[in-house]
Amino acid sequence: MSNNKYRILAVEDDRSVSSLLHAMLDAQHYETLMAETCAQGLMMLSSHVPDLVILDLGLPDRDGLEFIRAARQKNAVPILVLSARSTERDKVTALDLGANDYITKPFSTAELLARIRAALRYSRPGAEQSKLPESRFQLHDLAIEYESRTVTVASQPIHLTQTEFNILALLAQHAGKLLTYAAMNEAIWGAADPGGNKKLQVNMANLRRKLGIRPGDNRYIVNELGVGYRMQQGEDDKAE
Amino acid sequence: MPNWKRLLRDGALTVAVMAAVFLLVLVLEHFFAAEKLIPMLFVLGVFIVSLHTRGYLWGVAASLIGVLLVNYAFMFPYYAIDLLTPVNMATAFVMLIVSVMTSTLTTQISIQQEEKAAAERERMRANLLRAISHDLRTPLTSIYGACSVMLDSRDTLPEEKQLTLLGDMRRDADWLIRMVENLLSVTRIDEKKLMVSKTPTVLEELIDTVLVKFYKHYPDQQVEVSIPDDFVSIPMDAMLIEQVLINILENAVVHARGMTRVSLVVTMQEGQARFCISDDGCGIPANRLNGLFTGYLDRDQEVSDGQRTGMGIGLFVCAAIIRAHGSEIHACNRPEGGAAFSFTLDMEETDEQ
Repeated sequence: MSNNKYRILAVEDDRSVSSLLHAMLDAQHYETLMAETCAQGLMMLSSHVPDLVILDLGLPDRDGLEFIRAARQKNAVPILVLSARSTERDKVTALDLGANDYITKPFSTAELLARIRAALRYSRPGAEQSKLPESRFQLHDLAIEYESRTVTVASQPIHLTQTEFNILALLAQHAGKLLTYAAMNEAIWGAADPGGNKKLQVNMANLRRKLGIRPGDNRYIVNELGVGYRMQQGEDDKAE
Repeated sequence: MPNWKRLLRDGALTVAVMAAVFLLVLVLEHFFAAEKLIPMLFVLGVFIVSLHTRGYLWGVAASLIGVLLVNYAFMFPYYAIDLLTPVNMATAFVMLIVSVMTSTLTTQISIQQEEKAAAERERMRANLLRAISHDLRTPLTSIYGACSVMLDSRDTLPEEKQLTLLGDMRRDADWLIRMVENLLSVTRIDEKKLMVSKTPTVLEELIDTVLVKFYKHYPDQQVEVSIPDDFVSIPMDAMLIEQVLINILENAVVHARGMTRVSLVVTMQEGQARFCISDDGCGIPANRLNGLFTGYLDRDQEVSDGQRTGMGIGLFVCAAIIRAHGSEIHACNRPEGGAAFSFTLDMEETDEQ
C-alpha cells in the first residue's frame, strides 16, 4: 500500500489511547499529530491543515462536539469521532453536526484503519471540486451508472423506482460515510419528513429486496440501527 | 397509577360497597328480623372499604356513611336522622375505630411490602456487583499477568510463547468488552419505572445488525433465519433487543454442546412479534431450567472459579431487558432435542419518539 503521507490529527486526552493511536498510525505510515485538548486541537487544525481528524468527545476543556462545530466553520476536513458514548442520540448528534463517521470505544484497530481509509478516500483531492467525481460506482458485483441511472448486480439490470435510485446513488456517492436518517431525508425529499423515517425505511427495504440483500449480509450497505446507513467501500480498500 | 385515578377508583369502591351493604340489609329485612345483623354488616362494609383503599380517608368516609345509613333507615326513629341517642353514638364510634384500625393495618402492610421490594432490589444489586467483580477478576488477572511476563522477560521468552500470551490477552479483553456491553445495557433500563424508550425499528434491519455482529465473532456458525416477508416495524429499544438476541445466540454457541444448527425465527401473531431462537444441542440441564435467568445472581461463589462460562450474566440481562419491554422471556428444552428461547414484543406503538 502506498500513500503519500496523509497527515492525521488525533485529539484525545487519554494517554494510553493516544499512545495506541500514535503507534497504530505510525505503523501505517501516516504522519501523526496529537492534541490533548479541544483548544489545542483547533489550533493545530489551523496551523497544520491535517487530512483527517480523529476526535474524542470527552475532552478536558470543552466537549468534542464544540470542536466539530468550530471545525466545520473553517473547512470540510473529515472528522472521525472515537468515543465511549454509545447511544444512538450521541451518534446522530455528532454526525448531524458534520462528523463523517462515529466509532465507539472499545474499537478494533482493523476497523478504525478501514474507516480512516474510507474517510481519506472520500475527501481525496478532486473529489470535492467536481460535484460528480465519477460517473460510475462499482462495489463487488454492484454497478451504478449515474448518468444513465442504471443499476446492475452481476451484470443483471435491476429496476429501481426514482426514489430508490436516488437513495442508492446518494449512499454510493458518499460511500464509506455514515449518513443519518435525517441527512438522507433531507437529501432525498428536501426536508425532514414529519412522518418520521418510515418512508425512507420502506424504500430501503424494497432496495434491499431488489438487490437481493439478506439479513446478515452487509456486502453493500451497512445498517447503523437507529442512526442511519453507510455504503461499503470499493474492493481496493478491503485489503487489511 | 395517577393520583386522581386512584382517588376516583377508591371513591367509587366506597360508594359501591356501602350501597351493596345497604341493599343487602333491605333484602334481608324482608325475610327475617335482621336487626342484630345490621350493624355487623355495616362494620363488615367499612372493613372491606378500609382494606381495599389507600389511606384513612375512604375508611372514615365509609364509617360515616354507615352510621348515617343505619341511623336513618334501620333505627328508631325510622327514616330520620337522630345521632344524639347514646346507642347511635356508640355505633358510630365503633365503626370509626374499626375503619381507622383497619386502615392503619393495611397502610403498614403496604409500607412493609415496599420496604421488602426495596430490600430485594438492593440485594439483587449487591449480588450483581459481587458476581460481576468476581467474573471480572479472572480475565483481568490473566491480562495483567501476561503483560507483566512480557514486560519482564521479553528477551528470554520465545516468540511463540509471546504470541500465545498476546492471543490470550486479546481473547480476555474481548470477553471483558462483551461483559461491559451487557452492563451498559442494564443501565439503559430506567430502574424506577422499569421502562425503556421505544422507537419503531425495522425488523429486517435489527436482524441484519445482530447477524453481522454475531458472524464477526463466530464466522463459522450459520444462523438459519426466518422472518416475515412484509415490512415490519416494531417499537423497541433496538440496542437492548440486539443485545438480547446476541446473548442468546452466543449462549447457544458456547453452551449447547453438540450443536450444529441454530435458528432465529420471528413470527407475527395477534398484534405481537414472537422471537424464537432454538438450537439442536444438548439442551438445558433440568436442574438449571428453573431460575435460569436469575441463576447468575444466586449461584455459589466458588462455582465459576476458573471456568469461563461467565456469560450467565447474559441471560440475567436478557430477562431484565425483556421485562422492561413489558414481556417475559422463556426457555425450554425442545422435545426433539436442544434448547429454545422465546419472547414476544407488542406491535402497538405506545411510546413513539
